[in-house]
Amino acid sequence: MRVRPVDVGDPERGSPAVDAAAKRLRGSLQLRHVDAGSCNGCEMEIASIFSPIYDAERFGIRLEASPRHADGLLVTGPVTHNMADPLRKTLEAVPRPRVVVAIGDCARDCGVFRGAYGVAGAVGDVVPVDLEVPGCPPDPAAIVRALRGLAGT
Amino acid sequence: MTGALLVGTALIGLAAALAGAAAPVRFRIGLSTALTIGACGFGLIVGADVLRSGHPAEVHTSALMPLSGFSLALDRFGALFVVITAVVGICAMIFRVGYTGHGLSSRTASCILPLFVTTLLLIPAASNVTTFLFLWELMAVTSLFLVLTDHAHRSEVQVAGQWYAVMTQFGAAALILGLVLLATRSGSQSFAVIAVKSSHLPVWVRSTAFALALVGFGSKAGAVPLHVWLPRAHPEAPGPVSALMSAAMVNLGVYGIVRVGMGLLGGGPTWWWLLVMAVGALSAMFGSLHSATSKDLKRLLAYSTTDNVGLMLLGVGASGLFASTGHRTLALVALVAALLHVVFHAVFKGSLFLSASSVQQATGSTDLDGLGGLLNRMPVSGTVFLVGGLAIAALPPFCGFVSEWLLLQSMLHGLPSSDVTIAVAMPIGVGVLALTGGLTAFTFAKAIGIGLLGLPRTERAEQATEVRPSMWTGAGVLATLCLVFGVAPFLVLPAVVDAAGNVTRLHLTEPLNHGWQIGLPGVRGMLAPGLLALGLVICGALVCLARRLVERSPVRLAEAWGCGRELQTARMEYTATSFGEPLTRVFEDVLNPSHDIDVSHIAESRYYTEAAVIHTSLDDAFERRVYRPADRGLQRWGAIARRIPNGSVHRYLAFGLVALIIVLVVLA
Repeated sequence: MRVRPVDVGDPERGSPAVDAAAKRLRGSLQLRHVDAGSCNGCEMEIASIFSPIYDAERFGIRLEASPRHADGLLVTGPVTHNMADPLRKTLEAVPRPRVVVAIGDCARDCGVFRGAYGVAGAVGDVVPVDLEVPGCPPDPAAIVRALRGLAGT
Repeated sequence: MTGALLVGTALIGLAAALAGAAAPVRFRIGLSTALTIGACGFGLIVGADVLRSGHPAEVHTSALMPLSGFSLALDRFGALFVVITAVVGICAMIFRVGYTGHGLSSRTASCILPLFVTTLLLIPAASNVTTFLFLWELMAVTSLFLVLTDHAHRSEVQVAGQWYAVMTQFGAAALILGLVLLATRSGSQSFAVIAVKSSHLPVWVRSTAFALALVGFGSKAGAVPLHVWLPRAHPEAPGPVSALMSAAMVNLGVYGIVRVGMGLLGGGPTWWWLLVMAVGALSAMFGSLHSATSKDLKRLLAYSTTDNVGLMLLGVGASGLFASTGHRTLALVALVAALLHVVFHAVFKGSLFLSASSVQQATGSTDLDGLGGLLNRMPVSGTVFLVGGLAIAALPPFCGFVSEWLLLQSMLHGLPSSDVTIAVAMPIGVGVLALTGGLTAFTFAKAIGIGLLGLPRTERAEQATEVRPSMWTGAGVLATLCLVFGVAPFLVLPAVVDAAGNVTRLHLTEPLNHGWQIGLPGVRGMLAPGLLALGLVICGALVCLARRLVERSPVRLAEAWGCGRELQTARMEYTATSFGEPLTRVFEDVLNPSHDIDVSHIAESRYYTEAAVIHTSLDDAFERRVYRPADRGLQRWGAIARRIPNGSVHRYLAFGLVALIIVLVVLA
């Protein structure tokens, strides 16, 4: 029996950065994932968007192994002190123009880890962020909707 | 006139040796080097004159050596080798002025180096057996001393010297037997007389003489299985000496095989040349395989010399094979290809050895796994090595491409022949050429990529600076010649055709080169190296232009991607060992790699590792299977023989008595 992907809802469009990316990328969005200090909750949800249930690849969204091949970064977790520089270096390695997507509440504002001794700040404090997906962890459908907006599909 | 110049070469060479031995320390190197360059200059003039005019330069005197007389007669074929040696000699001597390593500035070395160069210049001119053997032996002994210059500081030098001494004397013994056999059987020791009378000699005499000459000259040329001294002697010899040995001395091995086989014996049965081709094919494959997996720069170059000598012998063998089956034009073309490769090999291998010695002087090492980043730190020497590497990998527009193309063409065009031997031998030759070409490209991708590019792997490599101008000038002249001959091979091609025609007594109906193009007689294939170079330049310019037009935004330079690591060190780089590892694995049976891992634990617990050391080594199959057992056998025999003379006077008297009785019985 073949699993049919669920309906994830309409893509989120509207902000200038997202619309510019959608116009440029035209249905093909390659992302490099960076775990900047996440609890792995967001990773499980990201993994599930590529499962047969959500099947993000049907919208032209894929994860890349190298930032050199990517259109942007998918960052999770609060940025820890140890991951601040690697995050900057990874962003530096992405060809321009590029997008940065912050996944989850921790990436947006450090979430429950705010003020912890190992945390350098939210993703937006370290690198410029173009799109945020709220939730702890965010619903896979919400992630797919946000990425569809970027991919323009 | 030219004879006087030949005498001048010898006299200036001797004066240089004398200056090296007797001049005050301050002038010693300058004076002996200048005089050696003078000797090479005279050699160049006389060689070029003979090549141009075709009149041999002759000197005969009975005063120097009793009974036989000292006899030199330089014909066009010999003149080609004199010119090669002279050019390499001049460059090596210019290089030598700035070179300080390996004790080459000592009194002994300053005296012997000019002698070595002079014998190299005179050997192709020797025209009787005694003169030839005298000069040959002088060359062997002087080169042995030069290999040994640094013996006091490193024990490897002594081992290398022993190997070289044994191999070179073994070769000389075979050579003496072969040439003396020819001389006694034909009743004269003059090369000219032997060449006339040799066709009337019995087959076994001719074949034995050729086989002995092949062994003798093969050991000097570094052909497999007599190559074992090369990878040992070259890394230990001083830079200019290894350049001279590899770019000038091994050529004389090829010279000898052609001179004896085609000149003195006037060609021979098919099996001689099949044997030469087999030796060449084996040398080419074995040499290129070992140079692809060596991680020492000079050892790599030494094995690559074996590889290139193999290609020369492949061409010589093909030529003899064609001649013995009646394909006269193809025979000449194949020999021209082989001789052209001799010329070009001298040029690129000279530049490679000299620049490798510059690297050794600047970093104190030739271990590729300890080098890196040298193209930035030593821009001129690095570029010279790069050019030499591209030339030896047979890439246009450098010279190696032309000679290998010609060799390939001559073998390919033997294919339609109805002769069964040729139909079997030539495809194998073409295959060997293709395989070694690929392996050579791999080798120099490794040498250049690991040694010259990337990050320096040791502190010495990090602090390396460009060597003195005289050193890079010497190497740079040869590198420039790589490009010049690659673009305009017609500068040397007519001379090489004349030299080949001179020794084989064959002539082409039409010239090989038509202006800027090289073509084979009766074949539509053409090569225009000049146009090829022009095409490359235009393509390069077009690519640059296109990139400039297409690119909208300027190129942004970013750090190499290292997974976001904080620290990127030279220890994370690819090494020569790891680069060659897949090849080592594929050819495991030939290379016999051995690994040894030492893990030491801390005293408190075996679960914690203190250090892990891996030792890897490759060894030479011929050394393991042939030379080691032979050495053990000789040692055992020596141990038995040592028991006989035990110091007892009675026993010695008995030996004398027995010997006397045997002599009387034999004579009676």
